[in-house]
Amino acid sequence: MAEETGQTPVPFRGGGFQPGARRWAPWAAFAAIIAGWQLASSTGLLPPLIMPSPYEVVLALGHLAASGDLTEHVGASLSRIAWGWSIGTLAGLGVGFAMGIWSLARSAGIPVVAALFPIPKIALLPLLILWLGIDEAPKIATIALGVFFPTVIGTYSAVDNVPRSLIRMAQSFNLPNPAIVWKVILPGAMPGILAAFRITSSIALILLVAAEMIGAEFGIGSFILAAGNLMQTDQLVAGVVLLSILGLTISFVLGRVEAWLLNWR
Amino acid sequence: MNNKKLVVAALAGLICVALAGPARAADKIVICALTFVSSSPLFIAADKGYYADEGLEPEFKFFRAAQPVALGVASGDCDFGVTGLTAGFYNLAGKGALKIIGAQSRVEPGFDFVAYMASNKAYDAGLTSVEAYPGKSVGMTQVGSTFHYMMGRLAEKRGFALADVTLKPMQSVPNMIAAVKSGQVDSILMVAHIAKALDGAGAAKIIGWVHQETPWQLGALFTSTWNVTERREMVEKFIAAYRRAATDYHAAFNQLDKDGKRTFGEAADALIPILMNYVGPKPTPAKIKAGAPFIDPDGRLRVQDIYDQVAWHKANGLVDDSVDPSAFIDLSFVDGHYDVPGN
Amino acid sequence: MDLFVQGVSHHYGDLQALDAIDLQVKGGQILALIGPSGCGKSTLLGIMGGMLQPTEGDVVAAGVPPADSLNPFTYIFQDFALLPWRSVAGNVALALEHHRLDRAERTARIEAALVLTGLRDFAAALPRQLSGGMRQRVGIARAVAVRPAILFLDEPLSALDAQTRELLLEDLLAIWQREATTAVYVTHNLDEAVRVADRIAVLSRRPGRIKQVMPVEIPRSERGDARHAADLAALHAQLWDLIRGEAAVADRELADG
Repeated sequence: MAEETGQTPVPFRGGGFQPGARRWAPWAAFAAIIAGWQLASSTGLLPPLIMPSPYEVVLALGHLAASGDLTEHVGASLSRIAWGWSIGTLAGLGVGFAMGIWSLARSAGIPVVAALFPIPKIALLPLLILWLGIDEAPKIATIALGVFFPTVIGTYSAVDNVPRSLIRMAQSFNLPNPAIVWKVILPGAMPGILAAFRITSSIALILLVAAEMIGAEFGIGSFILAAGNLMQTDQLVAGVVLLSILGLTISFVLGRVEAWLLNWR
Repeated sequence: MNNKKLVVAALAGLICVALAGPARAADKIVICALTFVSSSPLFIAADKGYYADEGLEPEFKFFRAAQPVALGVASGDCDFGVTGLTAGFYNLAGKGALKIIGAQSRVEPGFDFVAYMASNKAYDAGLTSVEAYPGKSVGMTQVGSTFHYMMGRLAEKRGFALADVTLKPMQSVPNMIAAVKSGQVDSILMVAHIAKALDGAGAAKIIGWVHQETPWQLGALFTSTWNVTERREMVEKFIAAYRRAATDYHAAFNQLDKDGKRTFGEAADALIPILMNYVGPKPTPAKIKAGAPFIDPDGRLRVQDIYDQVAWHKANGLVDDSVDPSAFIDLSFVDGHYDVPGN
Repeated sequence: MDLFVQGVSHHYGDLQALDAIDLQVKGGQILALIGPSGCGKSTLLGIMGGMLQPTEGDVVAAGVPPADSLNPFTYIFQDFALLPWRSVAGNVALALEHHRLDRAERTARIEAALVLTGLRDFAAALPRQLSGGMRQRVGIARAVAVRPAILFLDEPLSALDAQTRELLLEDLLAIWQREATTAVYVTHNLDEAVRVADRIAVLSRRPGRIKQVMPVEIPRSERGDARHAADLAALHAQLWDLIRGEAAVADRELADG
C-alpha cells in the first residue's frame, strides 16, 4: 500500500533511555543469582573450598539463630552503628552547617576535611585504642569518624544548594538569622543531607568489621572476622548475608524517611 | 572522557594484565612462610644449597600472617608451607586440599617459646602466676589462634573453665602488646623474644611459660594434596633437604646443658648470620636466640597431640565436626613419628 | 512614606552598574523603572529596599510607616521565592511568624491576604501543585500580609506566560485600586509600565543613569478607556524611542563580555 499511495509511516525514533521501576525485577535478580550459585555448587562447578553453597549458608544462619547468638551479634552491632552513626552525624551536621554558613569556618574547614577524610579509619585503630581503650568507645568512635566527614561534605554542599533567592527573601522579610537557618536553610538542605545519610549508613556498615576487630566478643563484624580466621566459609558468607540484610533494611527505612520528609518535591 | 581515551585506557589495562601473568617453570618449587625464626630449616636448606643438592630450585614467598600461607598451599600457589596449627588451618585442611607431612616448632619442656604475661596493673593486683587467671581478661590475636588454644589447654590443666577468663581478639601482635602495656587487658600470651623484651623493659611481667604447663606440637610442614599424589618424588626430595637443615638447626639451637638450661655454641653462631638474612624485622643475634623454638631434627610430629588439638577445637565449636585428622596427616614421608594413634 | 535615592553609584568589581542615581519615590505613587536589560534596574531596586549596599550614595526614607506595617520595605520577586516545603498558607505565615502577634491576628492577616489574592481555597496546597500565576499570587499575598509601607516589585510578571501575565496584572491593578500603595515596579515591559505607573523612570544602559522621568497623567483607573488609547500609545512610542537603540546593543552582547 505504501507503494500505491506514495505514503510511508514516519518511523518512530523516540523511546528508551528512561529506566523505570519493575517491581518483580529485584526479586527475580536475587532469585536468579542464588539459583545459579546453588546450581554451580550442586554440580561441583564451585567446590566448597572456594565457596559454600547457599544451602550451607542458610544452615549456618539457622544454626546461629537456634543458638541464640544471632540476636547477640545483631544487637551488639546495631547498638554500635546507632551510637556511632548518630554521634558522627550530629557532629557532621554541626560542622557542615557552620561551613555552609560562615566564610571563616568554610575556609578553615575545607582543607582540614580534605586532609583528614581520606585517612583510612582502620589505620587510626591503634591510636583509638590508646585513647579510648578496647571496650565500646573505640568501636563507636571508628564508625562515628567514618560517618563524620561525608556528613560534613554532604551538609555543606547541601547548604550551598539552597537557592540564594530564598535566603534573600527571608532577609527581606527581616527574619532573624536563627530563623533563616531553621526555616529556610535546614529544610532546603534536607534533600542533600538525606542523600548523605544513604552514603554514611553504608559507610557505617562497611566500618563495622573494622570497628569490631579489637576486643569484640559479639557483633556481626567480629563474627565475620572470626569465621574468616577459622576458615569457616559458610559462616563467613552467612555473616556477609546478615550485613546485606541490614543494609537493605536501613536503605528501606531511609527511603521511607525520605518520602515522608521530602513529600514537597 | 571521550571514547578514544576510554579505548586507550582499556588497552593499557589489557597490556598490564598480560604482562602480570608470567609462566611458572616446571622444575621450580614455591615455598611459603613467615619471616620467623621458627621457619629456620627452610632458610638454612636454601642457604646451604640442600634444595639444589636434591635438584630443586626454590622460590620463597613471604607472608605477614599464617592464614595466607595455608590458603596459598591449598590454592596451589605455594608448594610447601610452614605455620602454627590453628583452628582455621584445621578447617581448611578438613576441606581436603592440604596434607601435613612433617613437623615445625614444638613447645618442648626446657625451651622458652611462649610466655604467659601479666600487665603491670594486673600483676600488682595478684596475677602473679597462672593459677590466678580466672576472672581476668586475656588478649589474643584471633579466635581459634594458637594463643586461644594454649589458653584453653592451660584452663584444662589448671582446672578452671575457659569461660572464666574474658578472651579479647586483638587481630595482631602489636595490638596485643599495646593493650597489655596500657593495662587494657590483664594478660597476653607472647612469643619469647618479645616477652623477654617487654619484661626486661618493665612494660609487663612474665608469669610462666607454656612449656612448663602444656607442651604441644605447635607448627607443621604441609603441602598440597595434589603434590602428594602427583609429584610425590619432588615432595620426598624436599623433605630430605628439609630434614638435613632441621638437623643442622637441632645441633645449633635445641641444646640444653646438664642443668636443663639452654646453651648456644659455635654451631648457633655459624647459623645466626644466615637466619639474619631472612628473619624480619631485622633481628639481633640475641633476638634470634631468644626467639628460637625447639624444632624436631627429623621433622617428626607428635601425632596424637594433633588429634587432641582437633578434638579440643571441635569441643569448643572452632573446628567443624566433619574434620578428620587422619585424612590430612600423611605419615609416609618421615619415619619415626611420635605417639601415632593405633587404628 | 517617601523614599529618596541620593547619588547612588554601584560597582561589581571593575564593572560599574549604576552611576550617580538621584530618584524620588513619592508616597502613594507607583514608580516604574524601565530600561534595557543589564541597565541595573534590579540592582537599583535591591539598593532601594536595603538588600544591597551601594558603593556610593545612600537611600533615605521620610515619614513613619503605618502602625500595622510589620515590614515597611517588602519585595515581590520575579522567581516568586516560595519555600517549596511550605503550603500556601505556610508561605504567607513565614513573613509573620517572627513578629509578636497573637494567634487571632496572625490568622486574620493570613486569611485576609489569601482572600485578597483569591487563594483561599488553595491554603493547604504546596507550591509545586500551583501554576506560575498562582505561585506569584502567593508571593503577593505574603507581601500584602505584612502591610508594607513601600512595595518593591522585581519584574513580578516576567516569569509568566502572556495570558497569565494579563490576568495577574489586572488583579494587581484591582488591589491597588482598593488600597493606595507606594511601590517601585521594575519591568522591561513598556506596556506594564504604562498601565501601572504614576511616573516612569527610564534608565540608560551600563552604567545605569536616569535618562528621563516621565509622569503618566491619566488616572490609573481610566487607562483602559478607549479615549486615552492614543495618548498611552504615544507614551509607549516615546519610551520605546528612548531605549530602543540601547536595547539593540544589549541584545548583541555576550553574557560575560
